[in-house]
Amino acid sequence: MSRRYDSRTTIFSPEGRIHQVEYAIEAINHAGTVIAINSKNGIFILAEAKRPSALIADKVDNEKIYKLSGCMVGCVAGITADANILINYARNQVQNHLQAFNEPAPVEKIVRQVANVKQNYTQYGGLRPFGVSIVYAAFSREGGFKLYHSDPSGNYASWKSICIGANSSSIIGTLKEKWTPDIDLTGAKNLAFEAYCKPCDVQSISSKNFETMVLTLDSDDKPLFQALGTDEVENLLKENNPIKAS
Amino acid sequence: MAMKGKNCVAIAADTRFGIQAQTVSTKFQKIFELGPRLYIGLAGLATDVQTVSERLKFRVNLYELRENRRVKPKTLLSVVSNLLYERRFGPYFVEPVIAGLDDVTSEPFVASLDLIGCPMVTEDFVVSGTCSEQMYGMCESVWSPDLDPDQLFEAISQALLNAADRDAVSGWGAVVHIIEKDKVTTRTLKARMD
Repeated sequence: MSRRYDSRTTIFSPEGRIHQVEYAIEAINHAGTVIAINSKNGIFILAEAKRPSALIADKVDNEKIYKLSGCMVGCVAGITADANILINYARNQVQNHLQAFNEPAPVEKIVRQVANVKQNYTQYGGLRPFGVSIVYAAFSREGGFKLYHSDPSGNYASWKSICIGANSSSIIGTLKEKWTPDIDLTGAKNLAFEAYCKPCDVQSISSKNFETMVLTLDSDDKPLFQALGTDEVENLLKENNPIKAS
Repeated sequence: MAMKGKNCVAIAADTRFGIQAQTVSTKFQKIFELGPRLYIGLAGLATDVQTVSERLKFRVNLYELRENRRVKPKTLLSVVSNLLYERRFGPYFVEPVIAGLDDVTSEPFVASLDLIGCPMVTEDFVVSGTCSEQMYGMCESVWSPDLDPDQLFEAISQALLNAADRDAVSGWGAVVHIIEKDKVTTRTLKARMD
């Protein structure tokens, strides 16, 4: 019945919903998972990079986790082509701020600007919304370590830990149970793998599919981004996979 | 000015900021770091020195984020050239000088450009500024190929100081960066403050 309200983003349905936006959110639930956990001394991000074919060359570029600035990282879930546009936009906005104010761009400003772009496609023009959810992880002097999430509707919020993409609702359930305000980085790493493995089919988990990012402070108190080495990923997988692979 | 040495480069500048005869500041930064072994020096109108360095940082940052690697000195030359030529008919009044070591091969590189972006890569040294003629003379005398970092420091310091001393509107302090594969040494020279 409400099919007639589906095809354009620029109209509400009688129930007060914008169907195209909801379908965009649905599209993201088929994409690779991203789990981000904020802890006392840093942020840990685990992203599953889906390999649709064995012929795909080994990872050269990032597919899920993108550096936006010296203190900010964006992780995407959804239609990669849409994500590229938004990531490029975010990077440009960061540089614009740096040029105008000579200081690192505050994360909330960038999140808001990208979210406003997304919102534009839900209200004007008759174009479809971006089918991308983005999780931002950033460090700032004023706010410390922060996690933000924005969805295709243009809504955004700050989170303690978040999951987007496939299996996100069950993973969020695990995170809700197990996240505590005084969790540390090691705990966060283990929690992320544990939450990821729970709803998964054990055969398909391989350490090559993961992109990871750890955001901490270095010895000069500057933000430092590092990916985990393959060994560490293997170990974390082994320890947290409830069903040992035979 | 910038000079090439053996597996090292040096870049030096005076630190005067003046409005014609009046010296406004003796601590004006003209050399900017765009990478761990890549520096650009800008001579000319002070406001353009600052704006061009900011605009350049913008482009270099985006390059590094997208490519996931540091910008090469040769590529930086092209970026600066493009930035300046965009304003062909209303140019920035700056004459940049680039000095750096290639990220991968650590090959030394010096180059300069004119205010509308004409690039010039040399094997020995580059100069720019009001006393460029004096600097050419000094560099031609003191430079020789394959100087090691300490010799290069002496050479570039002498060249800069003596050239600036022969120019009424240059000088009032000088700074020298020696860029080697594993470190960058920055020294402030004791110059004639007149």
